[in-house]
Amino acid sequence: MNKPIIGKALEYIITFFIILTLNFMVPRLMPGDPFTFLSNDEVGVSFTFTEEEIKKYKDYYGLNKPITTQYVDYLKNTLSGYLGYSIFYNDEVLNIITERITWTISLVFISTLISAFSGSLLGSISAYYRHRKIDKVLYFFFVSISQIPPFLIGLLILYYFGAYLKLFPLSGGITPFMEYNSYWHKIIDLAYHFILPALTLSFVNIGNFYLVSRNSVIEILSKDYITTAKAKALKKRRIVFVHALRNAIFPIVTRIFLSFGTVIGGAVLIENVFNYPGLGLLMKEAVFYRDYPLIQGIFTIMALFVLTMNLLSDLINKKLDPRLS
Amino acid sequence: MLNRKGILMGNKNILIISFILILSLLAGCGQDNIQANEKLNKNNDNLVIRLEGGDWGYPTPFLHYRRGPGAYKMKLIFDSLLEKDEKGLIPWLAKEWEIKNDGKEYIFKLNKNIKWHDGNKLTADDVKFTFEYYKAHPPVWNNLIVNGKNIIENVDIIDDYTIKFIVNEKNATYLERVGTMPIIPKHIWENVKDPLKFYREEAVIGCGPYKLTNYSREQGIYKFKAFENYWGPKQKVDVIEFVPVSDPILAFEKGDIDTLMASPDILNRYENNEGFKVTKNKPFWGYRLIFNMDNRPELKDKSLRKVFAYGINRDELVQKVARGAGIVASMGYLPKAHKWYNPDIKKYNFDIEKARKLINGKEYSFKLLIGNSPKEVKIAELIKLSLSKVGINIEVKSVDNKTRDGLVKKGDFELAIIGHGGWGRDPDLLRDMYYSSETMESNSPASGSLPGFYNEKINELALLQMKQLNFDERKETIYKLQEVIAQEVPQIPLFNTIGYFVFRPLKYDGWMYTYDHHYPEHCKLSYLERK
Repeated sequence: MNKPIIGKALEYIITFFIILTLNFMVPRLMPGDPFTFLSNDEVGVSFTFTEEEIKKYKDYYGLNKPITTQYVDYLKNTLSGYLGYSIFYNDEVLNIITERITWTISLVFISTLISAFSGSLLGSISAYYRHRKIDKVLYFFFVSISQIPPFLIGLLILYYFGAYLKLFPLSGGITPFMEYNSYWHKIIDLAYHFILPALTLSFVNIGNFYLVSRNSVIEILSKDYITTAKAKALKKRRIVFVHALRNAIFPIVTRIFLSFGTVIGGAVLIENVFNYPGLGLLMKEAVFYRDYPLIQGIFTIMALFVLTMNLLSDLINKKLDPRLS
Repeated sequence: MLNRKGILMGNKNILIISFILILSLLAGCGQDNIQANEKLNKNNDNLVIRLEGGDWGYPTPFLHYRRGPGAYKMKLIFDSLLEKDEKGLIPWLAKEWEIKNDGKEYIFKLNKNIKWHDGNKLTADDVKFTFEYYKAHPPVWNNLIVNGKNIIENVDIIDDYTIKFIVNEKNATYLERVGTMPIIPKHIWENVKDPLKFYREEAVIGCGPYKLTNYSREQGIYKFKAFENYWGPKQKVDVIEFVPVSDPILAFEKGDIDTLMASPDILNRYENNEGFKVTKNKPFWGYRLIFNMDNRPELKDKSLRKVFAYGINRDELVQKVARGAGIVASMGYLPKAHKWYNPDIKKYNFDIEKARKLINGKEYSFKLLIGNSPKEVKIAELIKLSLSKVGINIEVKSVDNKTRDGLVKKGDFELAIIGHGGWGRDPDLLRDMYYSSETMESNSPASGSLPGFYNEKINELALLQMKQLNFDERKETIYKLQEVIAQEVPQIPLFNTIGYFVFRPLKYDGWMYTYDHHYPEHCKLSYLERK
């Protein structure tokens, strides 16, 4: 009983170390460094560092040390919870990340719930009406949209609901400079800004859940007890949602946890489209400026999140499916 | 499994849905739903201007970011001894100044009754403190370093409102360098050990026209409110708000922001429309093609460089890449709108025949390093096409911008294209760019990027102009310098871009351009009453 748990734990620890190592190496393999600015954008200006300043900063951030020493320092710091000091933003990486992580996490959680719920609902309907028109339309629709890149869906939604219908704000996570007279007022404002990015992200992932639930409901529907249920003249709704979906729910739950990795990826792109204040925008800039500590910090936190979700899915699987334990 | 018919049926529905969607989108484009008719604000009382935001750092002289418009936000809070208008430097915190002792002493007389945002008075003591503090803790925008050294030797207080700077040498750029440094309050900063960690509220107490009342890093918003006890001209804009924007055009048309940098393609929406006014930004942003003469010594031959000058159709680049919103750059580097631009230098109009004559039947091939912006890719392709007709074969290598910058800095390239601003600054930038020596310095994105280039005459003129405090004498040297540069072709300035600045004049039309900067939102005087 104990051995598999230790094995699993070891697996996770090794994965985490590999991720930490990649995190350290990949940014440093990219050419360019945080101190060189030769070009700039059309509205911006840039101030370059003098050679003296570069030397000072490299010492300050330990970038002059041999790469192995840097690596050991980095592992030590990360494991003790210190993610470093951002070169571009001039602040603790952890501070910068905590400011933004709630935005991304809530976007990811809520949109996953929306897409899982509506995806499995539609999937079950599709399965029940298999080979009929409604199934074919749904199937085609979800297969098609799951192939559209998230930012494109985002742009379309932004344009249509934000700019053309003017129903929702074009950007941001909250109305700037607003003074709220109640807590509810604030929540409503947050939700108002949240709807379009969340809708986009749900839309991007709904296809996944639709397909998973359709397949597993189809499988269940061919079981004998469903035939029995039908023979008992139970209502359609009851057969699909109570008898079939309930038994098909297990792969869907697994899928929810496993999908967090891809959903975070999608969130990064969508945050950039809506200028939504999460980790996505930050990640883009960190890579752009070659801000090593910040890149490492963001990826470490994301990796931790995804690994935790995988672990949860392992545990829940065991709970849900007695065959696994 | 789906049968064939089923797919087609599904397909049809999708088609219909997409068709409806596209139609409604088109309807959106055609319908003129631009919000232009803001109420005319006669007194400009409580005028609130909204501009495109984004996080550019906490606006102290030490914490705004190294890129982007953060520095100009800081300048709304912190005044300097001098300011810039359309023509040049103007008195600001200092009402007058004097240069003595052959350019080694600068004496500034300060205005009285200048108050910091917290009510304290500004005196010469604060000014002296500022420059000493900057020596120990260099700010991001540090004009005080020349050749790796701080130019200030000593700051003496003559009386409460008179201050004397002793500088290390005679130099024509020192007045601007000293005059434009933001002054910080001694009573706040004297106890600050590490300005890079000073995020407190007091850090944004300045004596400038605006106070920072709101900033959020993760949302990228700033709010500036007019300082009621400001010593200088009255603020015409009461509140300046910087807000996050996903798509500037949509945000401008919806009325979320009040100004827009428009591309030529959408300009006709705003031109000849009463609700809008369009001005041209100054062409102080541009692309240039640089040669690495260390890696490819054949480029040390002036006539081969001239083959590039004649063989690249720069007019075509302006038309096709900038869509007409640009001008062909001057071979003497300083753009046409620059105060010191010499119009009579050698021009290199596109001339294949001349280029062929100069290359004299030889063939070359070069690797051209560029960033990954679509514009740079277009420029590179057009250059490749036209040079292939002359006998120069170009292999384009596109990498991300930061990688390109890194490779250029290391000298790991043959030819490269770089785009950057700052072409309107003091002409001493010619020394920065063309003077060849071992020590590369300074704040310019341009500096030290012509590996292997050396020219005695250019060095001589570049050093001479730096020492000339007399306007006419210096102007003559700068003109001459541009002339020599244009003959030598050490690099090829390709074109300068002209951005279009669109705003709603009924709401606010105080926008102005300083003589050396391309963008009105960055100019402090844009928000203040003018005489």
